[in-house]
Amino acid sequence: MKLVTITRSLLRSAAAAALALSVAGCATTPATSEGETTVNDPLEGPNRVVFAVNEAADKVVIRPVTEVYVAVVPDPLRQAVHTFIQNLMSPLYIANHLLQGNFEGAQLATGRFMTNTILGLGGIADVASEAGLPEKPADFGQTLGVWGLGSGPYLVLPLLGPSNVRDAVGYGVDTLGDPFRIWTNGVGQDGLQWGRTGASGVDRRSQVLREIDDLRRNSIDFYATVRSLYAQQRDAAIRGSSAPANPEFPEFPEYNTPAKK
Amino acid sequence: MLTRRLFLVCAALLAVSSWAVRPAAAQSADPGATAFIQKLGNETVSTFANKGLPREQAVQRFRTLLYQGFDVPYIGRWVLGRYWNSASPQQQNEYQKLFEQLIVKTYADRFVDYSGESFKITGSRPEGESDTMVTTQVLRPSGPPVNVDWRVRHRDGTYKIIDVVVEGVSMGVTQRQEFASVISQNGGQVQGLIQALRQKVGQTG
Repeated sequence: MKLVTITRSLLRSAAAAALALSVAGCATTPATSEGETTVNDPLEGPNRVVFAVNEAADKVVIRPVTEVYVAVVPDPLRQAVHTFIQNLMSPLYIANHLLQGNFEGAQLATGRFMTNTILGLGGIADVASEAGLPEKPADFGQTLGVWGLGSGPYLVLPLLGPSNVRDAVGYGVDTLGDPFRIWTNGVGQDGLQWGRTGASGVDRRSQVLREIDDLRRNSIDFYATVRSLYAQQRDAAIRGSSAPANPEFPEFPEYNTPAKK
Repeated sequence: MLTRRLFLVCAALLAVSSWAVRPAAAQSADPGATAFIQKLGNETVSTFANKGLPREQAVQRFRTLLYQGFDVPYIGRWVLGRYWNSASPQQQNEYQKLFEQLIVKTYADRFVDYSGESFKITGSRPEGESDTMVTTQVLRPSGPPVNVDWRVRHRDGTYKIIDVVVEGVSMGVTQRQEFASVISQNGGQVQGLIQALRQKVGQTG
């Protein structure tokens, strides 16, 4: 009789301890200690092949087209194109902010959408930024991350570039749920959809012309650099402003007595 | 019944743990670190705003500011991570020299081609056991401002930057992951990285 009670209480403490461990495991962000800072990339071989093809496509077509776009189209007009495309994406941003429970973000994105659609001549002029409402994109991959889903293996998608399983699914869901796509599809104007996709690609590429040139020039392994940047950027977007997961920076014992000069 | 009890235990644990963590978070950031970033930033802007400076001299100034502000040997050691221990003293020595040259080569141009950027300090917080994260915004003549955080370590009475975080992306982590990839592509040999670095900084032999 007594033994049963003891066993039961032991089991209970064991359960509590196990729970405590799992809670601690959930609550603490995975410590990125030395040697652990790697991106999950089991498909590195095929990824590198797709990456090389994307690089070639960028060097031969996308970058030259973007350069012509930047050289020929004046700055205010390019800004208008950017604002217009972002405005078309706004309903998706609002929906994702809501799904993430980020009401502040949803409010901001809604404010931008209304302001730029009504006061910004149908989304051409970025009146919202002038009024102190900065761009606040959100996507479904990020939403899944906020819900606690891990990234899964790193993927390089043809033309779309760096991604991972979670974000690729998110991209698919965003594409399916995109009101603009549904509308163009409904009125039989798929050309508009392609037009926007192309314009959006060139617009996004034009924002990072110099940065990518710099990175390419200064990297030893450009693939690994892009992979690292993408993973960190996505983590930051999912974490938002809360609890940044910074790695440890220990003091090194040999640091004060460096190898002989 | 069981789930309810589990829930209660869980809630209690969470309450206790957040309680226990709070005093650490309330610890105030070191104001000296903020003053250090302010001073270093002002000096950098005033150095490179002077466009009359010949290129050679500007790069030399950059090198001076780099050592004044950053703990370059520490960063180099940190970036190599666990591979540091598998490198011979000669390799460690050469690696550190090449790492410094790579930093200068990568960043000197960005500063020498200074085009009217300015910065403002937006806050600071304690980071890790003994560091301070000073958060700033870099304001560009065109385009939205960029959030840049500086991880500052106070050691032996001096402040030094040991990492830079741009929009949530750590430069140290990026470089560490890149170097780790280069080393693993070369069968885990640090020599492979050293050769790649030599090539990058344009040094033969």
